[in-house]
Amino acid sequence: MSVWNWLRTRIARVAAWRRRDRDAEVERELEAHLAIEAEEQQDSGLPPEQARYAARRAFGNTTRAQEDVREIWNAIWLERLARDVKYAASSLRKSPGFSVVAVLTLALGIGANTAIFSAIDALMLRSLPFTAADQLVRIYSIQEGMFNTFANPDGPSALDVRDFAQRSRSFQNMVAYDTWAKNVSFGESAGQPEQMEVGLVPAAYFEILGIQPIIGRFFSEDENQEGKNYVAAISAQLWRSRFAGDPSVLGRKIRINGEPYAIVAVMPDVIPAWVEPGRQSEIWTPFPYSPDMWAESGRGERGYAVLARLNPGVALEQAQADLSVIAAALAAEHPVDQGVGVAVKRLADSRVGALRPMLYLLMGAVSLILLIACVNLANLLLARNSARQRELAVRAALGAGSGGLLRQLLAETLLLSLIGGAVGFACAEIGLRALARMHPENLPQLGSVGIDWRVLTFTLLVSLVTSLLFGLAPAFMGTRLNLVDALKQGGRSAMSGRSSQRVRSLLVTTEMAMCLMLLVGASLLIRSIIRLEGQNLGIRQDHLLRGRIYLPPVRYTNPGVRTRFCDDFATRVRALPGVIDATVTTVYPPNNGWTQKLVIPGYAVTRIQDIPSAQFGVVDQHFLRTLGIPLIRGRDFAESDGATSPPVALISEEFKRRYFATEDPIGRKIHIGPPQLPGIAVEENITDDVDVTMIGVIGDFKNAGLALASQPQISVLYSQHPLVNGGFKDILIRTASEPHLLESEIRSQLRALDPDMPFAEVQTIDELVERQTGGQRFTTVLLASFAVAGLALAVVGIYGVVSFLVAQRKQEMAVRMALGASHGSVLWLVLKQGVKMAAIGAAIGLLGAFAAQKFTSGLLFGISPVDPLTFAGAPIFLLAVAAIACAIPGARVLQIDPAQALRQD
Amino acid sequence: MTPNKSSNRAELLQGTLDMLILRTLLFGPAHGHQIAKHIQRTTDDVLQVEHGSLYPALHRMERKGWIVAKWEMAKDRNREFKYYRLTPAGRKQLVREQSRWKQLAAAVATVLWPARGG
Repeated sequence: MSVWNWLRTRIARVAAWRRRDRDAEVERELEAHLAIEAEEQQDSGLPPEQARYAARRAFGNTTRAQEDVREIWNAIWLERLARDVKYAASSLRKSPGFSVVAVLTLALGIGANTAIFSAIDALMLRSLPFTAADQLVRIYSIQEGMFNTFANPDGPSALDVRDFAQRSRSFQNMVAYDTWAKNVSFGESAGQPEQMEVGLVPAAYFEILGIQPIIGRFFSEDENQEGKNYVAAISAQLWRSRFAGDPSVLGRKIRINGEPYAIVAVMPDVIPAWVEPGRQSEIWTPFPYSPDMWAESGRGERGYAVLARLNPGVALEQAQADLSVIAAALAAEHPVDQGVGVAVKRLADSRVGALRPMLYLLMGAVSLILLIACVNLANLLLARNSARQRELAVRAALGAGSGGLLRQLLAETLLLSLIGGAVGFACAEIGLRALARMHPENLPQLGSVGIDWRVLTFTLLVSLVTSLLFGLAPAFMGTRLNLVDALKQGGRSAMSGRSSQRVRSLLVTTEMAMCLMLLVGASLLIRSIIRLEGQNLGIRQDHLLRGRIYLPPVRYTNPGVRTRFCDDFATRVRALPGVIDATVTTVYPPNNGWTQKLVIPGYAVTRIQDIPSAQFGVVDQHFLRTLGIPLIRGRDFAESDGATSPPVALISEEFKRRYFATEDPIGRKIHIGPPQLPGIAVEENITDDVDVTMIGVIGDFKNAGLALASQPQISVLYSQHPLVNGGFKDILIRTASEPHLLESEIRSQLRALDPDMPFAEVQTIDELVERQTGGQRFTTVLLASFAVAGLALAVVGIYGVVSFLVAQRKQEMAVRMALGASHGSVLWLVLKQGVKMAAIGAAIGLLGAFAAQKFTSGLLFGISPVDPLTFAGAPIFLLAVAAIACAIPGARVLQIDPAQALRQD
Repeated sequence: MTPNKSSNRAELLQGTLDMLILRTLLFGPAHGHQIAKHIQRTTDDVLQVEHGSLYPALHRMERKGWIVAKWEMAKDRNREFKYYRLTPAGRKQLVREQSRWKQLAAAVATVLWPARGG
């Protein structure tokens, strides 16, 4: 900035100096002339005083001559530019209607692009806040033959990572890490207990990222051993909010899952949420290696996040090749690693994740908007320049060079686009704030979106290119005029020539095509999200509150204690006024449960992929009643089904269809756990020691996410299955009134049972569904607003062209009407032109939308990317809107008084 | 100065002033006043050079590189003047303009006196 300022003042100073110098010289030259003239006058007999006066009179206007000379030398471009801009500004002021429409058009196009670009900048382009970030990679396990996407990666097991690190030569360092939701209490002085994501990270984690603690120290190697791991690092954010930034925080104890941890470090807030597998961590503890962690039986336990730093100079491909060889060797050594490959990806590339297709779609949409805006601008300028044809012709006839005219038209365009750019920039800023307020839960990256110098450069560049590309062409058309023609045509514009009219129609047709593509995309997404949110979950969805609890093993040491706690809690909640029923469960729609492999007697299995499996739920006796799931056959769980009675299970209709199509499952037994297949190693899965008896068939409910069909579901009682009675539980509460009103009552019931236990993630099922569709809703709202913007621009475009047409053919229309043509037929003459452009544009747009289905198909649910209704409706809608836009200027034709119109000119 | 001969005065056609200045400078360096006087005298006061256009014309040609200027002491007066002299580019320009003028004059003549052309 300062360099630019310095340069500008230098140039201005040099220019001023040269100008003053030249002015002085011209003055001296003219003085010499006057002096010699006066001498001559004196020679012819005049007294000196009169002679000087006569000389001056003979010369004429000296100031004028000086100015003319100055004009000749004023080649300094800055001055000329300033003058052009001044002219341009006054010329724009003279036609405020045109200027406002042009600026708004540009602002819309540039603003939308700036907003989306800043999102892309933040999510994909901005460099990571780590030293030598291009050396940082993630390592994933991939199932061979499967397409590995960022949306659905898998992590290796700790043993695999150990072997990768030991055998490879490409890496400086490598860590496996994880995050867990844990109950955290900060002591009486520091507020309520909270369920937080705790990062389980070896000491090397921070070293690899290159982060130094603000105060305190790294974890030691020693602290990675189980039993010595009771130390914690906290984020600066947490330090400020819970400890008021107190430097004596080091050594203070916090309780994590009921156990005390000493704070040894405060880490800066530089690790973005997406680096960690769960949500943003604010507490990290060492990753405790239990002695049996390195037993070979754990090799199948995959799912760890792996971070590594490449050796300097090692390319990603080399590292990939290196690890692929090792993975192949591991697969040969260990049956459980068969068919498991490895993928190395740059850390920076992993940040966008599932957002990538959405960003591409939005990028495409805003490019279309910008194109439409530019086309509109070109059209506006064409119309304006042609209307000024006479002004330009007169000026050219008076001696203005065509270079000068061109320069002035260009200055106008440049000025327009810079103002448009500035307004657009402001719009983008406002738009981004609005987006941040929408802040969908599953797009935490959007929080970091902001406007920086890169975005500014982008906006400036777009503005300049826009003005040069779309302003220059009309400017050329404006200056390449035929003086005689322009003057001869009188009031009528020379641009009524056939070829220029064709250019303008072509532009509007293009606009219509792009607008149709936007309309199709937006309506597909809107219909998709309506379907997605309108999904029948298979339960009574309203008035259902959900919250999460975690029973840490330190305090709740055995399944019996956990069962008692859950039953107590549910009983207390059921007793609250306004509560109809409540159930403690691990499964609820539409979330994924865990997939459990089963042995079903009579169902023969020889291959690994044939093993029966189902979504597995661990619930209590109130599950069906609370959620409102219908019982189809058999019986529900009863209070008599307890720890001592034979274990029972409920299966879903889909389960029955898949595994008991022809038989009656009621009363039959199945085994929870994978079958023993000779020669085939089955991945780690829970194996229960007692078989369960199926007692009832229940209705299907969504158990694999909103977008997928219901999978086979089996639900058992936690009281009967100690092995699967874990610490993480959800409570679902059916209420009679507004569910959130009960929240504090439920909290105090929980606190009465255990003051250290937080009640986390409290939300209604309606809210849960809304949050899960947040990403799609976000895209939909954006695309829909882009489509509206595009439509508005296209309407302005077609309206402008048709108005222009009407103005030009006024006399012709008047003649027709005078000769007896009906109003209708004259109106049709106008409409025909507009509708023709819209129809051709719509047809091209349909082809474009068809070609673009690749981009939309991944974002759609329950609707084809070439949905016939949308593909028929959108063009009809566009044509209708275009017809209305044309009818307004068309109506003006009807008000023509033929006698008056013919008298003009 | 004889300002009353206005009836005989001819307006200089656009572009011809440049040519006349260049032609004048063919005799040697001269300052603005001399150039104007020379044109007036040689045309018997028919062509009056507007000083308001003379100086801009001189500067325009200086900028185009047809003439160069230098401040020098006048031989007959105790005063410095800005003397203009012809450059090679200026000579070429003069030749070009003279031949164009000749063509134009001939063409105008054929229109005005067709009989002479036969």
